[in-house]
Formats: sequence, C-alpha cells, structure tokens
Amino acid sequence: MVKKNQILVPDHVYVPKHEIVSKEEAREVIAKYNCRLVELPLIFVTDPAIVGLGVKPGDLIKITRTSSTAGQAVYYRYVVEV
Amino acid sequence: MSFQSAKTIDGIRFSVWSPTEIRKYSVAEITAPETYDEDGMAVQGGLMDGRLGTLEPGQKCLTCGNTSARCPGHFGHIELAEPVFHIAFIDNIYKLLLMTCRSCSRLKIAQDDLDELARVMSREAAYTAVSQKRIPEMILEKARKAKECPHCGKIQYDLIFTKPTNFIEKTEAGENRLLPITIRSRFFQIIDADLELLGYDPTTARPEWFVLQALPVAPVTVRPSIILETGIRSEDDLTHKMVDIIRVNQRLKESKEAGTPPLIVQDLVDLLQYHATTYFDNEVSGIPQAHHRSGRPLKTLTQRLKGKEGRFRGSLSGKRVDFSSRTVISPDPDLDLSEVGVPLYIATKLTIPEIVTDWNIERMKKLVVNGPTQYPGVNYIIRPDGVKIRLDFVEDKQTIADSLEIGYKIERHLLDGDIVMFNRQPSLHQMSIMAHYVKVLPGKTFRLHPSVCPPYNADFDGDEMNLHVPQSEEARAEAILLMRVQDQIISPRYGGPIIGGLRDYVTGSYLLTRDDTYLTPAEFTNYAMLGNYNGSLPKPATKDAKGRPVYTGKQLFSLFLPSDFNYVMTSKWAKGTSGSKQDVVIKNGELISGVIDKSSIGAEESESVLHRIAKDYSNIQAKTFLNSILVIAKQFITHYGFSYGYSDLEMSEKSRAQILDKISDSYDIVDDFISQSKKNMLKTTRGLSVADSLEVYIVNELSKARDKAGNIADTSLDETNAGRIMATTGARGSSLNIGQMAGALGQQSRRGQRLLKGYNDRALSHYSPNDDNPDSHGFVKSNYRDGLSALEFFFHAMAGREGLVDTAVRTQQSGYMQRRLINALEHIRLEYDGTVRDPYGHIMQFLYGEDGIDVAKSDHGEAFNISRLIESQRIVDSGKKAGGEEISGVLKKYTKTFNPKLKSTVIEAVTSSNLSLAGIETVCKKGLDLYDRAKVEPGQAVGIVTAQSLGEPGTQMTLRTFHFAGIRERNVTLGLPRLIELVDARKKPTTPTMDIYLEESIKNDREKAIEVAKNVLQTRVSALASYEMDYKSEIILKLDRDVMADREVTAEDIELALSSNKKFKIEASESTIVLKFVEETDAPGALAIRNKVLNTTVKGVPSIERITLVQNDGEWVIQTTGSNLQKVLGIEGIDKRKVRTNNVLEIAETLGIEAARNALINELNSTLEDQGLEVDDRYIMLVSDLMCSRGHMQQIGRHGVAGSKDSVLARAAFEITVPTIARAALAGEIEKLRGVTENVIVGSNIPIGSGTVDLYMQVSKKR
Repeated sequence: MVKKNQILVPDHVYVPKHEIVSKEEAREVIAKYNCRLVELPLIFVTDPAIVGLGVKPGDLIKITRTSSTAGQAVYYRYVVEV
Repeated sequence: MSFQSAKTIDGIRFSVWSPTEIRKYSVAEITAPETYDEDGMAVQGGLMDGRLGTLEPGQKCLTCGNTSARCPGHFGHIELAEPVFHIAFIDNIYKLLLMTCRSCSRLKIAQDDLDELARVMSREAAYTAVSQKRIPEMILEKARKAKECPHCGKIQYDLIFTKPTNFIEKTEAGENRLLPITIRSRFFQIIDADLELLGYDPTTARPEWFVLQALPVAPVTVRPSIILETGIRSEDDLTHKMVDIIRVNQRLKESKEAGTPPLIVQDLVDLLQYHATTYFDNEVSGIPQAHHRSGRPLKTLTQRLKGKEGRFRGSLSGKRVDFSSRTVISPDPDLDLSEVGVPLYIATKLTIPEIVTDWNIERMKKLVVNGPTQYPGVNYIIRPDGVKIRLDFVEDKQTIADSLEIGYKIERHLLDGDIVMFNRQPSLHQMSIMAHYVKVLPGKTFRLHPSVCPPYNADFDGDEMNLHVPQSEEARAEAILLMRVQDQIISPRYGGPIIGGLRDYVTGSYLLTRDDTYLTPAEFTNYAMLGNYNGSLPKPATKDAKGRPVYTGKQLFSLFLPSDFNYVMTSKWAKGTSGSKQDVVIKNGELISGVIDKSSIGAEESESVLHRIAKDYSNIQAKTFLNSILVIAKQFITHYGFSYGYSDLEMSEKSRAQILDKISDSYDIVDDFISQSKKNMLKTTRGLSVADSLEVYIVNELSKARDKAGNIADTSLDETNAGRIMATTGARGSSLNIGQMAGALGQQSRRGQRLLKGYNDRALSHYSPNDDNPDSHGFVKSNYRDGLSALEFFFHAMAGREGLVDTAVRTQQSGYMQRRLINALEHIRLEYDGTVRDPYGHIMQFLYGEDGIDVAKSDHGEAFNISRLIESQRIVDSGKKAGGEEISGVLKKYTKTFNPKLKSTVIEAVTSSNLSLAGIETVCKKGLDLYDRAKVEPGQAVGIVTAQSLGEPGTQMTLRTFHFAGIRERNVTLGLPRLIELVDARKKPTTPTMDIYLEESIKNDREKAIEVAKNVLQTRVSALASYEMDYKSEIILKLDRDVMADREVTAEDIELALSSNKKFKIEASESTIVLKFVEETDAPGALAIRNKVLNTTVKGVPSIERITLVQNDGEWVIQTTGSNLQKVLGIEGIDKRKVRTNNVLEIAETLGIEAARNALINELNSTLEDQGLEVDDRYIMLVSDLMCSRGHMQQIGRHGVAGSKDSVLARAAFEITVPTIARAALAGEIEKLRGVTENVIVGSNIPIGSGTVDLYMQVSKKR
C-alpha cells in the first residue's frame, strides 16, 4: 500500500501507538486467546503506520488505542504479506 | 415414550458431477420426448418415467418401491449427441482457455515460476493467508499474455469470447471456432498440479466436466405435473425445457447418422447448446429467453434458486409456521403494558399442548367436554401412542373426556395469562418481537397498550400484526426470560428507555401535576384505586377556597414513586415556556416541584424518571409505575376534557398584521440583495459564485421570515392554549407546526432548493419570466388555518410530493442497508473468553466494546451511574467523613477489575463525595456488583444487535443530501446516503472534504493562513486564461493577469506546468502563451489537447476544488471541497498531525488501517449524531473493527464482509446465488454449518445466544 515517496505521518492524531510484540509475549497472547495466528485481525506489512518499525510478515503488532468507552484499549494485529 | 433418532448434518460438500457419476446415479436413460401416452400412462424412457419417482399418493415407485410420501425421487439422464458447455462454468472455461497452452494444456508459465507458486501455496506459515488467495489472479494476468508456451514452445493464438457460448481462436489461417468437443479434449490434458494452483479441487471438479456429455434429468418430484380442473395435465417448466433438449438431441443424433452436411449439423449443435443453456439459466444475456406457450418466460433452474422469492431466500431462509395468526391492531389503554388482547375467535384456533397430569386432569376433562367450539376448550387429543384425535367430529365428548388418562396430551385453547410472541414487520430490531401475556377479548382485532407502539413502530391506521404461540416449555421459558415487554423497556441501541408515555398520556400527566391542580379526597382515592395503589393514603396538602381539604395532583403522582427515590431535572415544559422555570424535584419519593411531561415519563427519553426507576429499581417496578401513571393520566385528561380545534389557532388582528409586517420586511431585504447582485456589489460567500451566494442569502432571509412569523403566532397564543401545551410538553407537534398553522407556511423546497425552475425561467406559467419576487419561487405567506392561495397550494403540493417520494425511496434504501448489515454481522457472537468472533474463530474484538459492557444492561452506555449511587447513599449516610487514605484503600480493593476510564471516574466521584467510610464501602460494593451485572454474557449475539442498532435508525434518517445550516456551512452528504456510503467503503465519497489545520507558529495568523490556502487550492490553466484556437496548428492562451495575481501565479509557472506535454511547443509573449502543435492534428485531436491543457494544474493540490477559511477558537482552519490527503501532507505550513479528510479509504492508504478505523468511527458517529439519533459507541466500534479486521477496508456487502464469509450457503442466500454455488463446487468447498443462515437453511438450531449452549455428557466407561 505504501507508494514511492509517500509521506508518512505516524504521529497523526488518528494513528494509535503501534509496537512489535516480542516472540515471548506473542506466544502468551496466542495462549491467552487460544487462537491460531490467522484468526487474529490482520495488518499488511506495507501498512503506513508500521513501515517505519521494521516489521516482517509473521510479527505481531500491539496497538494501544484510546477508547471512548474504556479510556484505553489494547488490540493485536498479525502482520501478513500483501 | 417415542424416541427419535437424532441425525444431524455434519457438513455439505459441493462438487461437480462427472459424466460417469451422472450415468451412475441415473436410474433410466431418457430418450422419448413424449411424457404420457394416449391412455395417460407415463411413457417408458420418457420424462415422466415411473422409475424417476412418484407423484400420486397411491402410486409405488418403480425404483425404490416406496409410495410418494417416502420416495425421494431418482435421477435419470440424457446422453447428449454432442457435448455442450455448462453455462454456470462458462467464465471458468474462458479463463482456463486463456491460461493454458493450446497444445500441451499446461499453464503458460515457466516451470520454475510454477514451482515457486506451488511452494507459496503449500507454505503453512499463517502470514501467507492473504497472499495465497491472490495466486489464481496472478497466474491469469501472467499466463494470458504469453505468446509462446514455455513448456512445449508452441505459438499461442488470441482468443475471442463472444458471450454467451462462442470461443474463436485467431490463427494465421483465419478465425477458427473452438467447439466444446475440442475444448473438452484440451481440458482433459490439464494436470492436477496446475489446477490446484488455480484453486480447483481436481478430485471434485475436473474442468472437462464443465463440458456436458450427459445431462442429469431431475426426479419428477422436483418438477411435478399438475392436473387442471379441466382434467388436462400441465407440465412443469423444467419438463418443458427437457422435452426441447430431448427433441433437438434426437434430431442431432439422426442427422449425424444420416450424414447431413456439417453446416446443418452445427446449427443443430448450437440449438442444443441454446436449450441446455436456458435449461440451466433462462436469463443469460446475449440470447433470447425461452418462453412458455402462453408467452411467459420459463422459470428454469437458476430462476428457481435466485432472488427474494427463490429457493434460498423464499423457502429455505424464510419458512412458514403453524400456531400463528395475523389481524388488524387497535389500542386498549385499559390493558396492562405487557398484555395483548386476543380475539376470542383466534383464541379458539390457536392451541397450546398440555400434558395431562394428576394435578390437572379434572380441569383438562372440563376443557375436553367443551370441545373445539366452546371456549375454553380443546381441539385435539394426542394419545401416548401418537394417535391424534380431532374433536371437531366427536359426538360424545363426555366419553372421550372420561377416557382421558395421565400422559395424554391435549391441545387446548389459548387462555388468559399464556405467553405469546407478538410481532410487527418490518422487524428492524429485537423489540419488534416481544412476549406478551394473553388476554382473551371479544372483537376481531389484536389489542395492545398504546405505549408499546414505539418499539413496534405501530399505529392504528390499519396496521396488522402477527402473533405466535410457543409450543414447548423451553420456548415459553425463553420467551419469559428474554422477551417480555418489561425487559425491553431499555433499548440496547442507547441504553435508555424506548417505551414510555406518549401523546395524551404526556398531556394528561402535565395537567395532573400542574401547580394549580387540586383533587378532592373522593377524586384522589378513585384515581389511586385506578392506578392499583394499595398503601396508606397521605394527608391532603392544602385546603380549597371553602376550607375543605384537597390533594394536589403532584401528591397523586407521588403515590407511585418508590419511597426512597430522589431526582432533579429540568422538564421540557420548563424549557419551552417563558414563565416560572421550576425544575422537577423529587425528594424521598415525593414530587416537590415541577411538572411531569415527556422528559420525565416519555418514550425514547434518556435520564428520565422512568429511566431512573427502571435502572435503579427494576424493570418490573418500571412497568407497574408506568401502568399506574398512564391509566391515571388517561383518566384525568378524559375528565378534564382536553381538545384541540380551529378556534385554538385564532389570533388577534394585531398579531396578524405583525406577521405580514415581518414578512414584507424580509421581502425588502431580499429585494436589496437582488439589487446588490445586479450591481455586482454583493459580497460572495464560501467561494461561491455571485448567483449562488445570492441564493444562499435569500434562502437564509426567508427562513428567518418564517421563523419570525411562527414566533409571533406562537407567542400570541397564551400558555393555556391546547396546541402550545402539547408542543411544550412534548406530547405532539412543535412550535414550528403551530407556526405553520397560525403564522406562515414558509419556503417550499424541492431537493433542498427553492422552486426555481419548471418552465422557462420561471417556476409556474402564472409568473413572468425571471421574476425574482420570493412569491414566484415558492414562498408561502399564508398559513394552514387561513388556507393557501391556488398558486401557493401548487407549490405546497410540489414539496409534498417530494416528501412522499422521499419516504418511499428511503424505506427501500435503508431496508437494503439493514439486510446487508445483518448478513455481515449475524454470525458474530461473544465467546466465553470475552472476545468477539465469527464462528470460525476469527477475532473481531479482543474485548467487546473495549470494556465488555452490554449496552442493554448498562446505564445509558456506562457500566453504572456512580453519582446516583453516591447521592442515594448520602441521604442515609451518617458518621465521620472518611479520610483520604481510607478512601484510597477501599477504592483499590473495589476498582481492580475496572477499565481505566471507569476507574478514574469512580475514584474522582468517590474522593469528592464526603461520605463516611462505611458509606463509601457500600457505594463501591454496589458499584462493583452493578459492574459485574452489566457485563455481556457469553453467546450474546452482539453482531445482530449491532446490525439492528445501526440499521433501525437508518429508517428514521432523512434522505435529503444537503442542508443549509447557516451561510458558512459546506455542502456535505448527510443522513442515510452518507451512512450507506460509509458502510459501502466507497473509493471516493460523493462530497469529499478536508479540514486542514495549520502549524503552531502560524495558526493564528490570517495572512499566513491565506498564503497556505493558496498553495492548497487547485488552480488550473482554465482559471487563469481564456483561449482561442486554430484546430490545425495552435492554441492561444490569453492570460488573465488579475486572477493570476490573486492566485499568485506567474506566466512562468504556467509554462512550467505545460512543459511536460510534448504535443506542442510553447511560445510565450507579454499577455499570451501560444502552443504550437508539433504535429498537424484534426479537430478531435486538437480538442483533446485543449482539454488536457485547460485541465493542467498550475498550482495547488489536484482535486481540491474550493476552500473556505474558518476560525475555530482563534485558530484558522482551511476547509476544502475535494480531498487529496497524500498531496496535502506535502504542503508547507500545515499541521500534518491534524489534517483530516472524510475519505476513509484515503486514510487507510496514507495513514494505515488503524487510522482508518478511527476515521470511520468518527464519520459514522457524526453522521448519526447530526440526525439526532443516539447509537452507542460500542456498535459503531464493532462495525468499524469488522470492516478493518482483514488489514484493508472491507465493505458491508457482497464484495466485502458478506462476500468473504466462510459459509457457502450463507453467501448463496445473500446475493449472487448460482455463481457462488458453482465456485464452491469447483473449489470443492465444504459447508461446515457453523453460522446462522446455514443452520436455518438446513433446519437445525442456530449457534447464537441460548443456542451456543450445549450439554456434553461423559459416557461412563464402566457398565
């Protein structure tokens, strides 16, 4: 999705915090939700919000959202190839 | 006891029948075109062959020997003389031909690449899930371009596909038609490995099977013949079509044997193809439809399955039921809120099965004696051996009654107190079907309490409703536990009451609770009794003029409030009147001041008295409260004698003159605007042209005129005026309505515009052309009371017509949106671990609504209302105020499980509450308890509730695209069209706009803002120059120096912008730029170049068409029409972090999927909010999360969420039925029956809500 010379704005007000989850932690997440990786919500490697993080397919991204109901909420996305 | 073996379908595999299988399944080869002979016997080898199944009851099947009740029917087959294409697979045939070599039938891709793809395909790694799906597309793209086969090196030819069934190959020798037989032999060679790459399952679908050699003949049970009254047999459409096929097939076979010229044989083959095609699908484009003798198009296989009345949606997803009835509804205010009045006649037809026991046998016997005709009676008796006795024709009922034994089952009439389900279509939300208690009444209509109209959206102008009688104990238990009216008072859409007082109930309670309403003890006690009050009576509050003790109306109202109820609020009435503004104050269950109106007991009013009672006490208490209050209000207003009529609109001459004055003042102002614009002195607004600005000013002024007229009318009526009472209390109507009745009707509009056209330069032929008097464009000065002039009436009818069309279109559009939402979300449920998933395990949310709170059980969207808890504690609280440390200790203990937001609100409220330690402890304990109760339950159908919560308000939205909310506003798509656009995930919204914020340093500087704005606004050559052209050689651009100066563009800029175009040379001079064509062109070529030149962007951002500068809290913001996020981010001086656009897909591309989710939530929220519709955030979040869950934006519809469902049947039942099934067959898909639609189709329990729960039993290994 990211094109050549695209301007990235990872600190835009709409973009929540994205971070790569360590392998160890990823295993815990999978165990906690008792699910297969593909069953997680997906994100493309080329997503403008994570291209700067040095992600590769197979990583797990932790997203910390600001929430109107809970104040703060955590969401996970599994990085897939385009 | 009888036992039924429980067979359940585990799954359904879809596949393509091979010719071998067709022949193997066949019980008879069908060769004869005749169906019956002269004696009326089925012809052996004909289409009605006895081996294909039975039709008549007595007949025995020649294949299986069963009678018609048990014989399932058997397939036969036709051997085709020449192979023909199966029309459902024609696209796959075309694609395969494009991809494979014409000689060796391998995919025209190098072996290395194929190996690579096969490797990707077989990769187990989960992150390739998406990329694997793209492989077939990639292969097609690559293979179709190959000029030479990489495997055998043969030259490939171009292929022409003429729809529907002709393939032509372009060889050097000329065009060569590919016959099915050649294609079949080519497909025969395709190797399995290649097919697997394309997503085929070669074990269930070989491509050569797409070419039919044998045609299955459906069993007769599928196409029964009917015998008309005249005794003539009439065959099914399918039989007719098969006859055609057999006839042509026969002729083809004969002519082939007879050695007829190939050209004629080919014609017959084409004819056979035509018949075979129309047999499968009679709506293929490109060929004529096959017709019945009567001229009606035949309904063949595809038509049977497709569409609303087709097999999937008409017979499988929607089934007909017994034990239901339907009739007109009418109101009965004397019923309980949760009752339904059932006509006696219906009560004797609908039955409930009841088992005879020791305890009820006497009662049952009496019922049996009454029989089916006398109410209450019995229609059927079912003996334990399963024999059903119909009592209609039983002479001696007493004997039957005496023979009744324990264990018998009787089907007795409906009785008072039975639970039934009551429903009104369209069933847009869960409150459209509620459980009521039966009250058998005389008459022929269903009776319901007027206050349950809002959830059903019912009125009594002829509406009909349906009633269903649950037949099992389980069904009744579920109805009572989940569906009763009282449990539906709180709407899950926004966590507030949807049921409440309306119309006269509101007026009645206002009249009752007014300050000057007094009741004698006799009246008071009567009303109290009506309201079912059975406590002790209070003391009369005052004495009347004669010194007799009297009660106040407020005292009567207070009787029904819980004694520890405290409440403060401003009533609607207090807001709407100029007089003394008294808040509604309820202290310890006593109404101290204020009046009770819609905001206290009304339907769809959050935070009302009713809402508080339902939430702080219980649903049952809310129901009894409502029942009592409403019946009293009704009785009170009946005795009071409240009416509204013509005389209530009478106004003084003075006020009438005032109204006319105000209108003519406004007319003067309008005239002024017009003359200003004629002199070209009018100040334009928001980048509009002079004419458009003028229109905006006029509309604005005229709407002011209407408001003024309405206000005068409104204020000239005193506060006891019935109309004003109704408007201010919220019972019915608004001051706008009163204004239109007594003041002036105001501007009539069409498509949000004044009535400007219709005839040449005028709206009606009665006016002179170009008349600019507001009268001639639909401003109505008259009111409804005085009546409209003929011309005004005409204008009014125009606007009225639009309103009708609007509602018709809206119901259609919102209905379809609802269907799509339901289809996309129906299978989504809450799992035991708190996640929201589809039945295949895909996670949509990790915690429902991010806080796990069920809106229906919440307090207006919050887990609980901490300030109400503290307030009620404060009254009983005693003792020393708790210290800071003590408080935080208690808080720590109780708020552990809370989410950050709830935690902080609770901590803040409790710390500043000044309660004692014990008090705080109780508050926290209660809070924690309420929090735990408000959580969603596992299995909850959160998807369906979400779809309903978004779909139902859709029906209430306006269709009008634009509105003028003042002069400064932009034109943006609003309401239903915008909502549809959002869930559609369109590439580009109809009205893209951006809000561009400026960098910190310049955000308060207007000059700098203008400078930035000029860099944002797109400036095309066409705006800067006029042109002259010579079609052969050149275009002369004449520069407009004024505009150029304004836009800060130099001639060099223009030259630079045009320099990239190589079709001409640029020669610049002082005031012109001449573009000399490099090659001589013709007129169309020159015009193309001209358009290109004029559209060239010289400055600014492409597609930003208009800009407006707006000041927000001192900060300048650039609002644009047109959106281009990526380019705008590159402009200097803007705050990149805050730039916004309403184009969600653009955000997904430039900021990522998470940003798109946030943007989508914002857009959905503001669209709904703008219409004044309250929808809880959690629903909007779930829809947005669903749409964004696959890494890109998916639409709610067949190309997105609904189309990517795992279930074949669910997809087929939604849209594009037949292609979906064909696709599933060639991929060998397996239907696992985990979702909702699938299970409805096969007739098993749906795995949602109480259907998720199952009993598992460990069978003991011993014994």
